[in-house]
Amino acid sequence: MFEWTVANRHILGNPRMVLFTVLSVALAVAVIMVLMGLTEGYRENLISNTVENSPHLIVDPKEDEDYITLYRTLSKIILDHPEVEAVSPRLIGKVAAKYKDNVEGVNFVGAYPHQEDKLLKVQEDMIWGDYYDLRFKMHSAVVGTDLAEDLELKRGDDFRLIRQNRSVRVTAAGFIETGTGLDQTLVYLPLETAQDLLGEGDVVSEVGVRLTDIYAAPVIADDLNIETRYKAQSWQEQSRDILEQLDTQQVYSYLFYLLIFIISGFGIANTMIMIITRRTKEIGILMAMGATRGSIMKIFILESVILGPPSALLGGALACVAARVIGTIEVPSEVYIATHMTVALDLETFAYVTLFALLVNLAAGIYPAYKASNLDPVEAIASE
Amino acid sequence: MSNIIEIKNLRKIYEDGVEVVALDGMDLIIEEGEFLAIVGPSGSGKSTLLNMIGLLDTPTSGEIWLKEKNITKIDPKERARLRNRELGFVFQYHHLLPEFSAVENVMMPLLIAGVDKKEARERSITFLEEMGLGDRLGNRPTQLSGGQNQRVAVARALANHPSIVIGDELTGNLDSKSSDMVYDLLRELNREMNQTFILVTHDMKMAEKTDRILRLVDGRIVCEMLREGDGFVTRDLCELEEDHT
Repeated sequence: MFEWTVANRHILGNPRMVLFTVLSVALAVAVIMVLMGLTEGYRENLISNTVENSPHLIVDPKEDEDYITLYRTLSKIILDHPEVEAVSPRLIGKVAAKYKDNVEGVNFVGAYPHQEDKLLKVQEDMIWGDYYDLRFKMHSAVVGTDLAEDLELKRGDDFRLIRQNRSVRVTAAGFIETGTGLDQTLVYLPLETAQDLLGEGDVVSEVGVRLTDIYAAPVIADDLNIETRYKAQSWQEQSRDILEQLDTQQVYSYLFYLLIFIISGFGIANTMIMIITRRTKEIGILMAMGATRGSIMKIFILESVILGPPSALLGGALACVAARVIGTIEVPSEVYIATHMTVALDLETFAYVTLFALLVNLAAGIYPAYKASNLDPVEAIASE
Repeated sequence: MSNIIEIKNLRKIYEDGVEVVALDGMDLIIEEGEFLAIVGPSGSGKSTLLNMIGLLDTPTSGEIWLKEKNITKIDPKERARLRNRELGFVFQYHHLLPEFSAVENVMMPLLIAGVDKKEARERSITFLEEMGLGDRLGNRPTQLSGGQNQRVAVARALANHPSIVIGDELTGNLDSKSSDMVYDLLRELNREMNQTFILVTHDMKMAEKTDRILRLVDGRIVCEMLREGDGFVTRDLCELEEDHT
């Protein structure tokens, strides 16, 4: 196929022009891949954060009740489900923590350590102390690192938790760092201590459930809702707003990606038109030698398409480098859900972006190639 | 000898604001194996006629017959095929493809014709060797002299064994030594292969080396001269003078 030979030689004969065209597409590919990776990374982080730091399923009190009294029986019923890995009755609430002159609002979680640890792997995030100590130390607490810092709380210090007119004095028996915003507000207490603080008796506010398959959560929640009158909610339902928001955002993002590609497409078309203008005479000569209009069109479309794969590869490489760099930047956990932003790059994304880049190259080449194939050979040969 | 080209009442009018009659009802018969020169002042219609015969342009009216086939209104694909198989072009400036070596340039019409790459290369090398360019096969146009490039262009025009070779001022850009060389080459090919050569020139010295000279003025043939021995005889009364572009 002589068209291929000519197209190839034209490309190699214009290294600088080709470099800029390849760069423009490569940058588009890289930017899109990084943006897609960031969105996907955010989603993954959000899911893993949700899944790691909160129960896969939460069973709330019945509609007209504030607390669950029969939590032991309920726990047993829930544990009967084969997909359920762990169950932990929890009493949660908001109180004020006071140490010396420092006061901070906190979210406390009262639970049985051996059950709560199975639910949320609390022990893994402990940076000092042992979460299981809370089983035997009634008035002790595990405190989030940032909260401890804000309160200027040292290891083993006593501080107060105050709720309306009730207060308990607890000892900081451990510090925990989850790497999320929770570290600023979290306090783990033994269940009995939390119940004391609340003063509502032997009750919990929810039962947390951990599952073997996180994506089975909605089904099991439905089962539990049918089985008991308690309200079971899957993690998907709890994060529904934010997941939906991500989906909506995704639509805008796709439009944005499309625009980026269109811009780079114009860049390619511009380069192709320049190449063709410079080669008008040559096109005339090829026609005089018997090249059909179809062949001329093929040559210039090929020239445009040939640039696709190297652009995509270079773009992919740039995206990988950018992903690494972005991954090393530390971000405050108030800004992002984790300490580091994740750019989730996968081959599938790369394949789609590459395919799209090829289509853009093809589309950008069509008009210039059509123009070239429609040149009048006499005028083309006479052109300077 | 059979007619290879027959032109009947050919007219070409360019209408780009002002109407310009480039060919004004021309009749012409060219026989197979002729070595023909077309002369005339600029704007006389030489190049237009050449473009018509070369199937690069279409007439406003009239007919062109190639090998007893009316090709005036054939479709673009067939025109392209005929240009490739029946016609070879040599232009004033060699018009070689700059990114391709001498041998690759000669190969191009063969590749367009669908000849296998290896065979095309072998045939092209043979041509270039015959042109005395056997040691310049891999050189690009920028690495060759004007005369050498024009010889490559001639080789390219001949590569597909066309029945007609068309030259538009093909020696116009060469020094006299180089142009003599190119001319002698064409003459030899004409004798050996019985190919038809139609050359447009305004250089009478060159024209006088051919067998038949047509002089065009304002889109008409005003004078025709035929070789007889070492000289020419005119059919009509006409004056031949050096034309200046």
